[in-house]
Amino acid sequence: MEPIEHEWKKGSAELLILSLLDEQPRHGYDIGKLIELRSGGALYFHIASFYPLLYRLENRGWILGRWVEKANQRRRRYYRLTAEGQGVLAQQRLSWKEFVGAVNRITGVEHA
Amino acid sequence: MPEWRSKIQERLASLNLPPAREAEIVEELYGHLQDRYDELRNSGTPDEEACRIVTLELSYSDLLAELQPIEAKHRGSIPEGEVASGHLMTDFWRDFSYAMRVLRKAPGFTLVAILTLALGIGANTAVFTIINTFLLNPLPVTNASRMVAINTSHPAKTGQSNDLRPISFLNLKDYQEKNRIFSSLTGYSSPMATTLSYGNESHRAFAEVVTGNYFDTLGIYPVTGRFFSPEEDTKPRAYPVAVIGYAAWQGRFGAASDILGRTITLNKVVFTSIGVAPKGFKGINSVFGPDMWVPSMMAEQILPPQQQNALKDRAVLTFTGAARLKPGVSLSQAQADMKTIADTLAREYPESNEGQSVALRPLTEAVIGTNQGQGLLVGSFFLMTIVGFVLLIACSNVANLLLARAAARRQEIAVRMALGAGRGRLVRQLLTESVLLGFLGGILGFFLGYAGCQFLWSFRPAEFAQNLADPKLNANVFVFSLAVALFTGLLFGIAPALRSSRTPIVEALKEETRTAGRSLSRITIANVLLIGQVAVSLVLLVVAALFLRSIRSQYAIDPGFETKNLAIVMLYPGQAGYDRTRTLQFYKDMRDRLATVPGIASVSWASNLPMWAHAEAGLTIEGQEQQKKSQEISSVVNTIDLDYFTTMSIPLVAGRDFTQDDREGSAPVVIVNDTLANRYWPNQDPLAKRLQMPGQKEFRQIVGVVKTANYQTLGEPPQSCVYVPLRQTYFDSMVLYVRTERDPASALTAVQSEIRNLDPALTVDDVRTGTKVIDQALWGAKMGVGLLGVFGFLALGLASVGLYGIVAYSVNQRRREIGIRMALGAGQGSVLGLILRQGMTLVVSGVGLGLVLSTLLGRALSKTLYAVGAIDPLSLGGASLVLLLVAFVACYLPARSASRADPLVALRTT
Repeated sequence: MEPIEHEWKKGSAELLILSLLDEQPRHGYDIGKLIELRSGGALYFHIASFYPLLYRLENRGWILGRWVEKANQRRRRYYRLTAEGQGVLAQQRLSWKEFVGAVNRITGVEHA
Repeated sequence: MPEWRSKIQERLASLNLPPAREAEIVEELYGHLQDRYDELRNSGTPDEEACRIVTLELSYSDLLAELQPIEAKHRGSIPEGEVASGHLMTDFWRDFSYAMRVLRKAPGFTLVAILTLALGIGANTAVFTIINTFLLNPLPVTNASRMVAINTSHPAKTGQSNDLRPISFLNLKDYQEKNRIFSSLTGYSSPMATTLSYGNESHRAFAEVVTGNYFDTLGIYPVTGRFFSPEEDTKPRAYPVAVIGYAAWQGRFGAASDILGRTITLNKVVFTSIGVAPKGFKGINSVFGPDMWVPSMMAEQILPPQQQNALKDRAVLTFTGAARLKPGVSLSQAQADMKTIADTLAREYPESNEGQSVALRPLTEAVIGTNQGQGLLVGSFFLMTIVGFVLLIACSNVANLLLARAAARRQEIAVRMALGAGRGRLVRQLLTESVLLGFLGGILGFFLGYAGCQFLWSFRPAEFAQNLADPKLNANVFVFSLAVALFTGLLFGIAPALRSSRTPIVEALKEETRTAGRSLSRITIANVLLIGQVAVSLVLLVVAALFLRSIRSQYAIDPGFETKNLAIVMLYPGQAGYDRTRTLQFYKDMRDRLATVPGIASVSWASNLPMWAHAEAGLTIEGQEQQKKSQEISSVVNTIDLDYFTTMSIPLVAGRDFTQDDREGSAPVVIVNDTLANRYWPNQDPLAKRLQMPGQKEFRQIVGVVKTANYQTLGEPPQSCVYVPLRQTYFDSMVLYVRTERDPASALTAVQSEIRNLDPALTVDDVRTGTKVIDQALWGAKMGVGLLGVFGFLALGLASVGLYGIVAYSVNQRRREIGIRMALGAGQGSVLGLILRQGMTLVVSGVGLGLVLSTLLGRALSKTLYAVGAIDPLSLGGASLVLLLVAFVACYLPARSASRADPLVALRTT
């Protein structure tokens, strides 16, 4: 499967990251890997666009990074969702749903 | 495994992130790449392939473009126009913390700049502390601005306001009773030397005679005990009570807790101590204060015999008035009211009050004695100017350092401007840096200045340590230092900041580091500053040299008497309870006994201390009796014993010396000096002419004329002097003059033991030698010259550090050029010569300018100089030579290191 077009990906990237962090705190590589795995390889972010995205979310105060050291592992930066981020996520999930619903209704993908 | 870290760093470099943030990103991205690599390796990808994939990942898209807008937040501390928050305090705080970081990053520069500024600000603080103590010193009294000082004036005589004299006690009482404008009026005498005895010891102590309401009028409260009650100042001799000064309590009485109620003996009269004055209060005169205060009704016991009638005689002027204005009354209203009273008194008591009026001025002006005031004011102004110049040199040094740094920071500034920092914002940031430097220098300078002041103060004459005011370190001084520091920061910061903000962005960004800042105009500003520094330090050195030469010539002044091998002892037999007969016997016994001591050539007594005399008004010359009191003749009057002129080596010009026969009951006689003789009997024989002493009825015949000596100050213009024989004018305290054959020190011990043999109760605190008298007379001048010298060399030191810095900097900038020259065959000598020539050209220009300025200044100062011309070749030449030598060393050191550089190294590095 071809990777999803750039613009679509960018538009949904924030939602993807926030959703993954809603489950538990994760480090950058973990998030990237999960997106790739769960999308079956359809979504893949390069390091050069993925981390700037994380920093942007952090700047907005939606997520918060913290260096964590675990035994036998290198130091990693774990990100978790902030209270503000949770609000944003809820909002984005809702509008995503509406958006997808609207698109589906028009394109007739769901019900024929 | 490739080194990804450096690859990431390369990509981030142009973002110019704060180091901590950059390290964080590098670590996170590196971790990511490492994870990816491990994963690929674990899945069986060969090492080479894994590396290729990961590296590709990194270079896939433009990390920089993505990060730039996001990371703006972290660059926020670098002021950019677009991120100016608009909140002044927020911006200030950002600028401040950024400035702190910048200064911390360049510790060498910061240290030199702060030290330089601290020296400049410290010198200013020290001088200001002195001014604050003596001139601005707010009296430690309640609402000092509503208080006035009252003196007797003689408007008809001179019209000059500074001829102010004390008020007689009876006039003071009349002013107290008749005025309608003061809520309270008090009077105080000057500090009087008294003999203080406690236990078996006798010492010199100073007591001030004050009216009972003195402390109440001033509105101050005792540290312990109480002040005088009204009835303690109603009946003469009835209440011998004293208030002790705080410093005297701490010093003389060892802070004794039982000080209240303790009896102390002053001039053989037993006083009871009733209270201690507050700390820091040393009377109204801010320079010299008493050890204790006694009520005016005890005046007879404290005042010297000439003022014995102070309480009864309107002609005896003893008290200075101090009064508190009633609310709403202005100084001019008070002056008018008091003048009416004074006019009435002049009509009622023409004998004593004719020609007298009254003068009022703010008490804060009176804290400096009328005579000390002018000198102190002029001296302070002068010193303040000098240290102002020292500060200017310090400023221009730091400005030069900043300019040099600005050149090195051109790229940083260009990047910031490229990122959108506005010019104003940039200037503000750079000024924050310089003001911060000024502030730090100010804090250090404040302490340096105070330490300097304490050091200076440690040279005050030890015998008066408790009576002299202490340097006051209060809010005034702190605010002054702070203001100087902030002003300084702006002064030296503004030019470099404006210049930096005009950095041409594209050009600067393209420049390589080694060529940075070699613009001609930058060097020009630095050069102008440097020439100015050299000129100003030369001026300061010349001024110091001029005054040094002046004081040396003052030492060479012939005071009119021989100072070598002369010992002087002040004795107060009257204060030890001696009556007239016993005192005169004591004077005679001392002379007789000392005459037999080996090594003593001659002995005499006189009422005046050398260099401490003052002219008395009211001398009348027979046949030239003036019509009014207002045209009084004034003259120094000295009461002397036999052999005085021999002992002092003052030559007799005409007539004879006093003899045994000039005694009470014989014809009254005087000896005058040639100044008086020539002034009133020009081209006549003054012998056998007659004159009347101030306040005396009888005429005295002139029997001799002696050469004029110095009586008040060294090198003074000739003053009239009249000598009266001791046997015809009684004095209860006299100064013993002993002429020795050799060093007077050994003879002094003999003198002291003879005095003790005669009467152990006599105080012998004041023992000095003739040379010490001259030393003391020049003490103030010596301190001044010392200060000038210190400031002159401080300026020289600062200027040479600045010169060194500039030459070293320009040498460093030109290392490649020098390397090329040397590679092409230039010898060490020619490189050395090249750099020295450039440095010394500046120095010589500065010296030239300095010489011109010094000559102009010398003209202005010529009035205050003694026996030194305005254009003094020795001072000008000496100062120039010292400056040229020091400057040469400052240029030579960096020049030498440049000439020794290996051309290959010089070409390769930087």
